[in-house]
Parts: sequence; C-alpha cells; structure tokens
Amino acid sequence: MAELSDIRNQILQDEIEEYLERPEEITRFIELFSRAKPALQDIAAAIIEGDDDAADSLTAAALEHGIEAIEIMDDGLIGGMGIVGIKFRENFVFVPEVLSCARAMRAGMAHIEPILSAAGVEKHGTVIMGTVKGDLHDIGKNLCIMMLRGSGFDVIDLGVDVAEDTFIDAVEESGAKVLGMSALLTTTMPNMGRTIEAFIDADLRDDVQIMVGGAPVTQEFSDDMGADGYGPDALSCVAVAKELMAAGA
Amino acid sequence: MKIDGMDRDFIVIGENVHTTRALLRRNKRVTTDESGADVIAYATLAGEQRFLPIPEAIKVTQDFQEGRIKHFKAALQQAMSGTGAAQGEGISYIQAIVDKQEAAGADFLDVNVDEVSLKKEEQIEAMQWLTGRVQEMATRPLSIDSSDIDVIAAGLAAYDGRNGPALLNSASLERPTALDLAQQYRAAVIVTASGESAMPDGAAGRVANASTMIEAALAKGIPANDIYLDPLVFPVSVDPEFGRHCLDAIAEIRQRHGPDIHITGGISNASFGVPARKYINEAFLRLAVDAGADSGIMDPVQNDPKAALAPDTPSHAIALATDVVLGRDPDCATYIKAWRKKELA
Repeated sequence: MAELSDIRNQILQDEIEEYLERPEEITRFIELFSRAKPALQDIAAAIIEGDDDAADSLTAAALEHGIEAIEIMDDGLIGGMGIVGIKFRENFVFVPEVLSCARAMRAGMAHIEPILSAAGVEKHGTVIMGTVKGDLHDIGKNLCIMMLRGSGFDVIDLGVDVAEDTFIDAVEESGAKVLGMSALLTTTMPNMGRTIEAFIDADLRDDVQIMVGGAPVTQEFSDDMGADGYGPDALSCVAVAKELMAAGA
Repeated sequence: MKIDGMDRDFIVIGENVHTTRALLRRNKRVTTDESGADVIAYATLAGEQRFLPIPEAIKVTQDFQEGRIKHFKAALQQAMSGTGAAQGEGISYIQAIVDKQEAAGADFLDVNVDEVSLKKEEQIEAMQWLTGRVQEMATRPLSIDSSDIDVIAAGLAAYDGRNGPALLNSASLERPTALDLAQQYRAAVIVTASGESAMPDGAAGRVANASTMIEAALAKGIPANDIYLDPLVFPVSVDPEFGRHCLDAIAEIRQRHGPDIHITGGISNASFGVPARKYINEAFLRLAVDAGADSGIMDPVQNDPKAALAPDTPSHAIALATDVVLGRDPDCATYIKAWRKKELA
C-alpha cells in the first residue's frame, strides 16, 4: 500500500495531511497521487492553489512531453479538484476560493477538451445541464459539465435560473436522454421537484432520466421528488450520468 | 425598532421561525442529555436550560450524516406529532425562538415551513398549525412566507390578526396573484424584484421589475406604507458586482417611489459562501440603509441592527467586509485571509 511520503509534491502531501479526515478518502488520494506522474501532481497542486497561470502552462507542458490528455485530466485536473471539493464540504475553503480553483481547472481543460473531442473518445450521448429557477449558482454545475465533457458526453448547458419550460423545450428539441439539475439554496431546491412535475404534466417524464445535485440536495430529497439519480459531488456526476444513459437506452 | 441617528423606524422581519434553519453537529449545543440521548441544548428567554430530543427520523437523514441538523424542523415535527415530553420540548423550543426574536426587536416573525415536507398538503397542514401556535406565543404580527402561494393562502387564513395585520412574503411578477391575496386579507406585502421567469439582471432590471410591482400594488389599493420592496440580495462571493447592483437599485427605487414605501431584503443572502458571515451581513445592512432601505429580513439575534447601524466608526472587520460588499476585494481574498489569521474578531 502506498504511503503519504510516496507522493513527491509537497503541497499535495500537506493538503492530504491537513484537510482529509475520512480514512477512505485519505487512502484514495494517497493511491491516486503516489502513482500519478510528478508533472501531474504539480498540476493538481496548481488547481488546489487556484493558480490558473500555472494550471495553464503546466498542462500545456505535460501535453508537449507526450502525456495523454485523459491522464492529465484524471490525475492532475480532476484529482486536484477532488481535494478542493472535500475542503469545501468540510468548510476549510469557501465559495470565492472554489471559484478560483474552478478557473484554474478551466485553464487546464482548455488544452484538454479539443484533444479529447478530436481524438473521438467514445461518445456516451447528450446530457442537458442547468441550475434551477431562482438560483444563480453555477460552480458545481460547471464542474459537472467539465467532468462530463472530459469523459465523452456532449453537454447542452442551459446556464443558471432555468425555468421548467426551458428544461422541457431543451429535452424536446435535443432528444437528450439525461437531464441534470443543480441547486445550491434550500429555497430553490424545491424547484427541482416542480420541474420534475412539469415533465410529468407535459407527458415527457418517461422520455428522460433526471439526475440532481447541489450542496443542500440529499439522496432522500432526490428520492422524495422522484429523480432517477443523485450525486453528492461533481466527481460522482459522470458515474451517475453513465448509469442513467444505460437505463434510458 | 428605533435606531439612533435614523430618522425613521427600522423594521425587522425576523427570519428564524423557519424549517430551513440548520445547526452544525459540531456546534456545542448538539450534545447528549443525562440519559445519553442525542439532544439540542437551548435556553428559554428566562434562561432555563432545556433539551430538545433529536428524533430518529432526523438522525437517518443524509443532512445529519454529513453534519447538519435542521433544528427548527426537528422541533416542529415533534411539536406537531410527537408524544409526551418530546412534544412539550418541541413546543417549548418554538416558544424560545419566538421569544428571542421578539426580545431582539423583531417587528414581524417570518414563518416558513417549506422544508417540513415536499408534499404541498403537508406543508399546508404545518403552516396552519404553526401559524395558529405562533400567533398565541407572539406579540408581534406574522410574516407568512412560502415559495408556494397555496401555502401562503393557508397561513393567511389561519392567522387571526390578533397581533396586527400580517405580512405576505412574497408577491412578484412571477406571482402577481399574491397581491390579490394581500388585498383580500388586508395584509402588508413584500414585493420582490424578480422577473416574470428569471432573476433580475443588474440594478436596472431590479428597478424596472420593482417599479412594475409597486405600481400594481398601489393600483389594487394597497397603501404605500404596506408595501415592502425586496430588491433581491445576491451573494457577494459569487460575483463582485452583486453587492453594488442591489445597493444601486435600492437608491434608485427610493428616489423614484418616495419615502412611504418600505425597502427591505434578505440581508444574510449577501454573505452566503463566505466565513464570518456576521460582518458581511452588518456591512451590507449599513450600506443598504445608507442607500435608502428601512427594513431587513434577518435574524436580529445573530445580527443586532442597533449595533450594526450604530453611527460609530466601523471596526476593522466591518471595513474589510465593506470592501467585499462593494466588490473591492477580489475573490474576498483579503477578508478570508484576515479571518484565517483571526484578525476579524
């Protein structure tokens, strides 16, 4: 089994030691970063520090050195963001800081995305994503979108403050089989349930698999309002989308 | 309430009688009683220490597993359908919250049951029950708050007006029929600057939506001093422009619609996503009142408006928080750094 000291990047070592508390998460990130190439460890550290210039140049350099785009994304960009997500959940970092980490991740993804789409990574299908009505928060939704696109989904991004009808129109026009809704506020979370009801009223509920997520959203809430899938964080979004895509096929 | 140096009353819409209210499990109020049962410690207004049991139904929720307790929801559920001592503690917990809101100067008590259940029938039942009980416990009128107009209607019907006319929270372009309800019950009304199907964009969008709603309310015969305009406060952590949008809208709406209407807003929305939220809330409140607001939808226990609006020189923490609200501290970096170094207290 890998040890903390097997990770070469000092920042990553310190981050795991200082901020991770759950044993399964400590194990997972030690495993991940100890086998990740040093250049990718540095990218992960740049994401955690919210350094978009470093994320940009390190990603470009890693590609030049012949490291696969998908490996850079998984070990470097997503790996770093995974730590940020845990720190956010545990109140060690706050919304503006997560936003700067997300900017850094976007700077790296800007190099990765065109390569992945040109390489014709096996496409999984189309997912529609949006933050529900009354809610302007898009950090989590945008992270999910980056993860989905990086994993071979086509994503239609409806943005924030999305009305029920807009979700319905998008499903009808695109024929997408999976719809993802995000909410960050307890006051807007019920609009997920209202959107699901609107799909039932429009007689379209059977045409689409619906997944939900966002800080106040729980598995119980998801079940109660009749969603098909729930993910506690952006990392889980890809797995849920794949599952629902298979269920809706 | 009266505030030193302010030439009109400041109206506090106290927002703690809410099923959304959460406590962190690591809060020292979350503890065990003598028998080892999980409880939330609380004090009555008279200072008596009491314990609200944490029901099993709450313990199995993901919220609880992840470290949060919806404490008011726990009290309401036990007060409504618990048995024996647990039911008594539920009622006593609600009474303690009502008493403390009033003692801290709440002019209205905002009552919200949206998270008690996803089912509308259950929300309606809870709103009827809670309105009936809180009006007996309170001396101040109630603000009936829900994202669902039918739940608001149930609350207004259940309120007997003994503490003065109710406040309806809220009407908007998206929900204009709420004005008819306000008229029917002779209630005062919060009108928001929300658009027909979208949130407002910038200051101009807020002013346009607000003006339409204020004129619609006046046209229905609702007196200007029963209109509470909520410009919609967005979190300053998400976009450095958000604070200014709201403050500029307040100034413009006050100028355009004169002194008789009230201008309020969800003060704590401003601080979402930032640590030491209290200072951001206070800085935002000062700036909002300077711009022409005379009311806040807020918790006066956490944020004492008298202290926040005192004409003293702002503390170091408030000065830093003011920079955040006005978009002068990119990514709130200086503020969060000061908080980490414990320089804010």
